[in-house]
Amino acid sequence: MRRDPPPQSDPDRREFREEAESLWRINLAPATWAAHFVTSYAIAAVVCAKAPALLPHARLALLLATGLALAVILWLGWRAWRQWDYRTTGDYTNALGEAEDRHQFLGHAAVLLALISAIGVVYGTLPVLLLESCR
Amino acid sequence: MTGSTARVDHIAPSRRLLRSSALLATLALSGCDGRQSVLAPGGADARVLGDLFWVMLGGAIILWLLVNGLFFYVTRINRAALSRRFANGLIIVGGVIFPTVILGALLAYGLSIMPDQRAPGDGLTLRVTGEQWWWRVEYWPEGAEAPIISANEIRLPAGQRSEIILDAGRVIHSFWIPALGGKMDMFPGRETRMSLHPEAPGHWRGQCAEFCGASHALMAFEVVAMAPDDFALWLAAQEAPAAPPADPAGIRGAEVFTREGCGACHTVRGPEGRDSQPRGAVGPDLTHVGSRLSLGAGTLGTTLEDFETWIAHTGAIKPEVEMPAYDHLSAGDLSDLAQYLKGLE
Ligand code: HEC
Ligand SMILES: [Cu+2]
Repeated sequence: MRRDPPPQSDPDRREFREEAESLWRINLAPATWAAHFVTSYAIAAVVCAKAPALLPHARLALLLATGLALAVILWLGWRAWRQWDYRTTGDYTNALGEAEDRHQFLGHAAVLLALISAIGVVYGTLPVLLLESCR
Repeated sequence: MTGSTARVDHIAPSRRLLRSSALLATLALSGCDGRQSVLAPGGADARVLGDLFWVMLGGAIILWLLVNGLFFYVTRINRAALSRRFANGLIIVGGVIFPTVILGALLAYGLSIMPDQRAPGDGLTLRVTGEQWWWRVEYWPEGAEAPIISANEIRLPAGQRSEIILDAGRVIHSFWIPALGGKMDMFPGRETRMSLHPEAPGHWRGQCAEFCGASHALMAFEVVAMAPDDFALWLAAQEAPAAPPADPAGIRGAEVFTREGCGACHTVRGPEGRDSQPRGAVGPDLTHVGSRLSLGAGTLGTTLEDFETWIAHTGAIKPEVEMPAYDHLSAGDLSDLAQYLKGLE
């Protein structure tokens, strides 16, 4: 009978789980942006091709979707900002390879991704605001 | 002269560079005015696109100067390390805020002018079909039940927006009048549309802008914007049946036209129900070809010689053209035919 490898220490495990989670989390803001983009594209295309009369409703729905997407991104960004913890550590680049540095660096990356996702969502909404017809 | 070639070699490279760039600049600038230039707009849409171009060009120059100025500054003027605060600020302001605002503003500007490009027309609709290598043109005034057929020339009433429905015969073409607006592709079996709004009477040139075969480059057309009253008169004249010339040469020419079977491909509309020719539709309608401004889709002028050259040397003028060259015709027949066609005003 083979023996299992010795179990990892608990703190190690917890930390690994948390890092895996925040690796997931850094993708969430871009994913929100992508979802918003695909939704806008699909709704605009289908409404303009099939039922132009519904356009005002579609615009309203897309504006609501924008509000929702921005709220989600803002929330993710805020959590990432706390994870980065720049305010208290004053460490901007987290150049040291310690566990804590990795943790904070993932927060830093997530903040930047949230920022660009928010810009993307706003840009994606400009046509909804500026184009009042299907032309 | 041998001396001059020898002298060229003595010109310093920098001067030669200067000379060739001056030559290039002249060539480039000569495209800026004239009948087929986006930089000399004569239509509302082209004006908007022209403004867009200048704004983008101005912005690109400013950005280029800023980026290269900064580069120059940190590599030549101040080589000392920048403070961390300053560098971070530069990244945030110059790398995040500035581009976001600039791109956002350009995007908003671009979006705001987009609907104009597809505004609906004021009444007149044209239907243009791209053929190899000419343009089938139909005019549908508001409420018309049948089109007024023409070819290879676009006439529009000035000061109004006309709707243009585009289609293609066998391959893809693209309809473009640079001085009046943007271009739009033409697909076999799929209608696309655009609208144009010439601001004042004028005269321009359009060109097929999608490679469509051997004579693609020779697929152009004349464009004329006329005062609305003149346009109405012109259109009424186009609607009327052909008025064949009554002089002896013209009458003989009409006989040659019938004898050579030109009517298999071309239509010369006779008075209502009394066509003297079959109504061929392989080639351009010739009912009023004598009043057109070009032959062979913007390839030749419309003098009597041009007519003769076209008929006798079609394929030499336009490679692979779908009209046989009638080089077997006697000089007399050719000149009679030219008289006849030129007389179809
Ligand atoms: C097989 C069909 C065919 C026959 C037959 C034919 N043509 Fe054509 N013709 C064409 C086509 C196609 C064009 C357009 C060519 C192009 O510009 O690409 C054309 C163009 C022309 C044009 C120029 C029209 C314009 O608006 O630019 C004239 C004029 C003309 N033909 C005269 C004649 C005469 C005269 C005959 C008889 C002697 C004749 N054609 C016989 C197919 C034909
Ligand atoms: Cu073409």
